[in-house]
Amino acid sequence: MNSFLSLIPRFADAILVTLEVSLLAAFIGALGGFVLNALRLRFPRWLAAPYRVYVWLVRGTPYLSQLVIVYFGLPVIGITMTAVQATIVSLAFYSAAYFAEIFRAGWASIPRGHGEAARAFGISRWAAFRSIEMPQAIAFAIPLLANQTILVIKESAVASIITVPELTMTASDIVSSTYTYIAPYAMLIVCYWLLTQCIALAAQWAQVLIAPSRKTS
Amino acid sequence: MNPPDLLARCLGYLPQLLDGAITTLWLSAIAVACGFFAGIFIYMMSASKSRMLATAARVYVSLFRGTPVLAQLLVFYYVPSGLGWAIPGVVAAAVGLSMNTAAYQSQILGAGFRAIPRGQIEAAQTFNLTRRQALWHVEIPQVIALTLPALVSEMIDIVKASAVVSVIAVTDLMRVGQQLSSVSYRPLEVYTLAACFYLAITSLLSLAGRGIERRVARRT
Amino acid sequence: MGASADRSFAENLMSSLPILELRAVGKSYGANRVLKGIDLAVTRGEIVSLIGPSGSGKTTALRCMNFLEAYDEGEVWIKGQLLGYRSAGRSARDRDSEKSIAEVRRPVSMVFQQFNLWPHMSVLGNVAAPLVLSKKTGKADAHKQALAALTRVGLAEKADAYPASLSGGQQQRVGIARALAIEPEVMLLDEPTSALDPELVEEVLSVIRSLAQDGMTMVMVTHEMSFAAKISDHVVFMEAGQIVEAGPPEQIFGNTRTPRLQQFLKPWFDRSLTAATGVA
Repeated sequence: MNSFLSLIPRFADAILVTLEVSLLAAFIGALGGFVLNALRLRFPRWLAAPYRVYVWLVRGTPYLSQLVIVYFGLPVIGITMTAVQATIVSLAFYSAAYFAEIFRAGWASIPRGHGEAARAFGISRWAAFRSIEMPQAIAFAIPLLANQTILVIKESAVASIITVPELTMTASDIVSSTYTYIAPYAMLIVCYWLLTQCIALAAQWAQVLIAPSRKTS
Repeated sequence: MNPPDLLARCLGYLPQLLDGAITTLWLSAIAVACGFFAGIFIYMMSASKSRMLATAARVYVSLFRGTPVLAQLLVFYYVPSGLGWAIPGVVAAAVGLSMNTAAYQSQILGAGFRAIPRGQIEAAQTFNLTRRQALWHVEIPQVIALTLPALVSEMIDIVKASAVVSVIAVTDLMRVGQQLSSVSYRPLEVYTLAACFYLAITSLLSLAGRGIERRVARRT
Repeated sequence: MGASADRSFAENLMSSLPILELRAVGKSYGANRVLKGIDLAVTRGEIVSLIGPSGSGKTTALRCMNFLEAYDEGEVWIKGQLLGYRSAGRSARDRDSEKSIAEVRRPVSMVFQQFNLWPHMSVLGNVAAPLVLSKKTGKADAHKQALAALTRVGLAEKADAYPASLSGGQQQRVGIARALAIEPEVMLLDEPTSALDPELVEEVLSVIRSLAQDGMTMVMVTHEMSFAAKISDHVVFMEAGQIVEAGPPEQIFGNTRTPRLQQFLKPWFDRSLTAATGVA
């Protein structure tokens, strides 16, 4: 137990790295996905096909293979990055496709009638959007966005392969240097599990705050 | 970059990548199959009247869905060897992937089981079908038909998740890519080609899934 | 000589003993007692109808007869064997094994209000499945017997169809065929026509009528009062988990003793039920 607890400082640092990389990538990815979806709606004829190809490529291949292309492959054509940079870039690029799909489904799920009814009562288009359609879209999207963030955190483990000092890399480091196996890996599992549970809980609270009447699953 | 040379090199990579792809495929197939039966078992545990079994099932699902596959595989590979029992990489990979997908499949299949009206089970009971017969002949065929799209989706996820077994010394598609790129010093070509293999596999699975879906929809 | 005389004596004895018997059967859901002290004896070839308002416990009583519900008090006997428990002084620990329960209730089959057909199997498949899986009949024989049962209910031509393509009345007739194919000695029918559109009710009732005429022993929960009056040998009126009145149709429908039963039957009386009883 003592050896278990003594690992906490190193793992605490590692958690921070994991979180920094994941949350940054998720944020950029969410933003990118949102913009991508908005652009697709605005310029359907130009962007419909490229969008579908992009989503197909990103969702049809493992994240690991995308990461190694960015980190090992791009230098061949002159684009070099640090391991951390490569991770954030590739993870953002990867998650943007998923976020874009979430926004696409969220947008399609808003019943058109609500906005129309509001405008029939003389509420301006923007006010209607802000108070009727947007909250519904957000309430719909929150669990999916939170879930995607959790997926990003889990995928970040792959970055250990290119020696980013996040959780998995740290655990492997400790194992190979101290020849203890159980404590570091147990700690690894616990850390990830806590991270994912916290995000899931945070999402539930956020949902209740934003749309109290809507039932969470 | 000379196109004919590029093509020649890519053709040169093909045999080994193909070998790797085959390893990826049968590893994924084993995981899907084991995960199916294990998933049913876990669902039945979660639906059982025993508080202990139901909680154990919930903990299992929460752990395997709440942590990365890579971390799980490292545990299955290194912890036994640390305890003096060296497990071959493929075995750890198969076990790890199976247990991982079982957690997801238990949720997918569970939804299917819950959609079957209780009356059909009562009819099975009345006519003295054993619990196993009712499961196999009445429930499972309907569960599969109901959850096929989600199951195909999960199969695709397993193929993608399997890429990380390259870390525990399994010569799958990803590892072949790593080997080839270190030998050829052409990581961009090699890794892109490997990615194309994955893309081909997932796309074929996707198409097959939609084809089966259409056939099942016509029958029911 | 002597043996055959003994046999027919034994057979005579057997045929007058109840094939299905409930003695002081009771059932509770938590604090709610849904069945109290139900006594019922059904002899071979008898048609018994259970009638009563919703919530009277008649369906629960029926479901205790094949142990779809586990009764808490009393005993259910099928052909002289105790159903569901190992000994008469039962407790939850005394519950019989699944195998024994299956053995005891083998002569009993059931027709359900919601049909409960298996949608992924063809009509023939539905009817043959209990034979193949439970009675371990070979597939070819099972299909023959299933086809015979389907012919009996007039649906042989639908053997390869799937339940979803059939009307409610046809589905229920398949349900009856499925219950028939295992050659039961008692058939339990749980409101067989309650889920049917009115114009489909008669086709099911006529199948049940013909089975009754062929001598099948039946216990039926039903709201079809005129039908019950015409084909039953014995009618049981239940309310609030108890048997309030029981007797032949002439008594129940023509000469009721209890005011509660009179009140229950009033709507049907207003539709000249007495005339129907006269025909019985």
